[in-house]
Amino acid sequence: MIYRLQDVSKVYPTRHGPVSSISGVSFCVVEREQMALLGPSGAGKTTLFRLLNATLLATSGSLAFAGEDVLKMSARELRGMRRRIGTIYQQHHLVPSLTSLENTLCGNLGRWSLLHTIRSTFRPSKQEAEQAMAALEMVGLADKYRARADELSGGQQQRLSIARVLVQDPDVILADEPFASLDPALTESIASLLLTLAQDRKRTLIVTLHDREMALRYFPRIVALREGGIAFDMSRDEVTREALEGLYVANTTQQGSVACEVDPSPAIGKSGASCEQTCGR
Amino acid sequence: MSKPAGVSHEYYSSEYKGWTLRRLAVAGSLVALVIFCWRFAEIRPTSLVDPAGVVSVGNFIRNMFPPDISLQFLRVVAVAAGQTLAIAVASTSLSVGLGLLLGFLGTPILWERGVMLAGEPPGIRRLVQSTISRLARAVLGFFRAVPDLLWALLFVVAVGLGPLAGTLALSVSYAGVLGRVYAHLFEDVDPSAIEALHASGATRIQVFLRAIWPQAASTVTAYTLYSFECCLRAASVLGFIGAGGIGYEINVSMRLFEYGQVLTLLLTLIAMVAVTDSVSRTLRRRLQPNAGRDGPRTFFSSNGMQRRYISGKQIGVSAIVLAIGLSFYFTGLLNGTLADSGAIARMGRFAARMFPPNFEVEFLRSLVLPLIQTIAIAVMGTLIGIIIAAVLALPATSTIILNDGDAAGKHSWINRTTRRIVYTLTRLLLNGLRSVPELVWVLVCILAVGLGPFAGTLAIGLHTGGVLGKLYAETLEEVPVRPIEAMRAIGGRPLQVLVWAIWPQARPTLVSYTVLRWETNLRVSTILGLIGGGGLGQIIYNSVQLGFYSNLATLILLVYILVITTDWISHRLHGQSGALSSTISKLIIQNYMSWRKGQAYSRP
Repeated sequence: MIYRLQDVSKVYPTRHGPVSSISGVSFCVVEREQMALLGPSGAGKTTLFRLLNATLLATSGSLAFAGEDVLKMSARELRGMRRRIGTIYQQHHLVPSLTSLENTLCGNLGRWSLLHTIRSTFRPSKQEAEQAMAALEMVGLADKYRARADELSGGQQQRLSIARVLVQDPDVILADEPFASLDPALTESIASLLLTLAQDRKRTLIVTLHDREMALRYFPRIVALREGGIAFDMSRDEVTREALEGLYVANTTQQGSVACEVDPSPAIGKSGASCEQTCGR
Repeated sequence: MSKPAGVSHEYYSSEYKGWTLRRLAVAGSLVALVIFCWRFAEIRPTSLVDPAGVVSVGNFIRNMFPPDISLQFLRVVAVAAGQTLAIAVASTSLSVGLGLLLGFLGTPILWERGVMLAGEPPGIRRLVQSTISRLARAVLGFFRAVPDLLWALLFVVAVGLGPLAGTLALSVSYAGVLGRVYAHLFEDVDPSAIEALHASGATRIQVFLRAIWPQAASTVTAYTLYSFECCLRAASVLGFIGAGGIGYEINVSMRLFEYGQVLTLLLTLIAMVAVTDSVSRTLRRRLQPNAGRDGPRTFFSSNGMQRRYISGKQIGVSAIVLAIGLSFYFTGLLNGTLADSGAIARMGRFAARMFPPNFEVEFLRSLVLPLIQTIAIAVMGTLIGIIIAAVLALPATSTIILNDGDAAGKHSWINRTTRRIVYTLTRLLLNGLRSVPELVWVLVCILAVGLGPFAGTLAIGLHTGGVLGKLYAETLEEVPVRPIEAMRAIGGRPLQVLVWAIWPQARPTLVSYTVLRWETNLRVSTILGLIGGGGLGQIIYNSVQLGFYSNLATLILLVYILVITTDWISHRLHGQSGALSSTISKLIIQNYMSWRKGQAYSRP
């Protein structure tokens, strides 16, 4: 099992008092699973992602990666864990003043010794440079290898951050809205790239999406978030139209607070059980 | 991973050429430069561990404690501190007046080119206007290029010892700095408003007041506040050459070996600077747009609507006017010292005796060695400063040294406390290095390594280390955080994150700060000799003592040429001719107007 989350909550302290981002989230992810995290904006998807790649500490609850509790890891073990997780960020998170090639090479960071890191800023090894070029080629950016990251368009930056993950070659790929800045044709090719990659190399793939059609089309398992809790966790075939509609209705009619207090609590209560279900599967 | 076709083969050899002839040449000449400067700055690392020097520095430190806090001496300190403050206030207000006038005249968009003049026929009138404008900029350039301590020396000779000389010197020097920046800021406003007013028949003054000033006011005020801070630092060291204030007392106590008094004076100085910093930071914060609910507040706002409900502002303005009046009185600008016919006449006589400058070959030849020495001191001093700053900046960068409390993983409290302690100590050390003026460091270094250029180099290095260390740390802290997060998520170690995510983003700012500091250090190194730090200053001091004023004129000219040449070289290095100083002043304004520190890393 790759991930086991139990009753995970994250509270941000703000000037106006603590604000809960996600609360009581429990689910499991097994190896080679392909899963979509669905939910309206503000549902806590991004926070959940930062918890999953261990750049953020949960306020309460436990998160285990490959059977080890994140809270008990030393800095070294934590880095070892992060090396196995590749994140494709919604805002790309590229270094603006480095070239595409250099940004792609960054994917190797977790493997490099300090000396090699410094060496690579001047002159990366030929093998690594070629590997990075191959990754750029796969996302269709080979001709842009010399362009600075901030000279690229939004879609190109998106593909560049995918290339970085290709070089990292992690066990788990987390992608936060990877299709947000792509046109339909590119969406198609990048989606199939990610999916075949996960399939061929036997990787786990977790993708957040706000587009339900996309989720249903590509992903066998769908976990839906609403207002920081899990609304439902089903396989593609079980997902009903009502469940999907219910996910967004609070967001659009602005009466979420009323509807929510009555409605989603059973769903959240159920998520504990659904964790067991998933793990049993 | 499958091998790509085509592109990948040629690119590698073309991208990473390794040691080309060009790179070798650049590296070689840098090494040669350092060796050359090392020789001429007479760097002798062994003299640092010379027993006699170690003993005298040890004595100095031991005798600093306890600081002298007898009532009698505290009275002396209070008077000196008040005088320094008065010099700073008076000279800042004079330099703002002079700087605004010359900056207004020196703004090209009003007099030389652009939307205002597009419709005017060429003719004698335009020629006169643009000549006056150029002249104003040349005067500003000269005011700025001659170091403030050199101005102080000249005014001490002209009007005698005391705070009046210091005030006049800083007024002239800072008018040069402010005027140039003002002209840049006026030139940088959105020209469409100017065009609109000009088209409706407004005069130049009207265009300035209604189109340029409202756009530039908040930045101008912020920069003026910043320059007041600099002015206060400068005022505190003028006393070393007899121009009044706290520096005079430091120099006297130092020469009398009363190190306890020195410590009291230094602490007073540091406290004064710190208080001014925090007051001016608060004021600048209020100047920032969207700072409060009331929106931007400016001191010189011409908007009557605002005045009505900020009654505190009227109190503020009255306080400022009162402070300026008092400072004029205490520095001798109002109480007759300047109006006394003798002072003006003496200034005239002094100026007359400087002409014609001495251009005899014999004399010029004798200047070559000190000139090279001055440059060498500046280069080596800056280099030492860069090394100190580079070492101290990392532990002083909160985002690198301190654990992020929100990050995953376990944190032992011992680890956390150690990091917190290292961070605090480094910050304290940097503040200490920075707060002690170069000239005080010169006196301390003379104790350690004796008179001469090495003492000057060390002094510049220590002070620059403090200044650059703080700037480096702040730059590293303010780098955009997203790429850093990505590198951490990949599994990068802190130092790897530094090399791949922080350094590439911070590099341009770091280089700008360093170049700016090197220009400043060159100015400082020309005057270190006044108190025994080697270089041109020694000859300047001799010429003044012996009354060779025509030699003095040549030396001033030489310093001027040296400084503008350096400016030109650093413009070329930056590859954007003429734009560097405006880039840097923008950088400073941004840096000083922002108080985002700590927010850069805050979570959403």
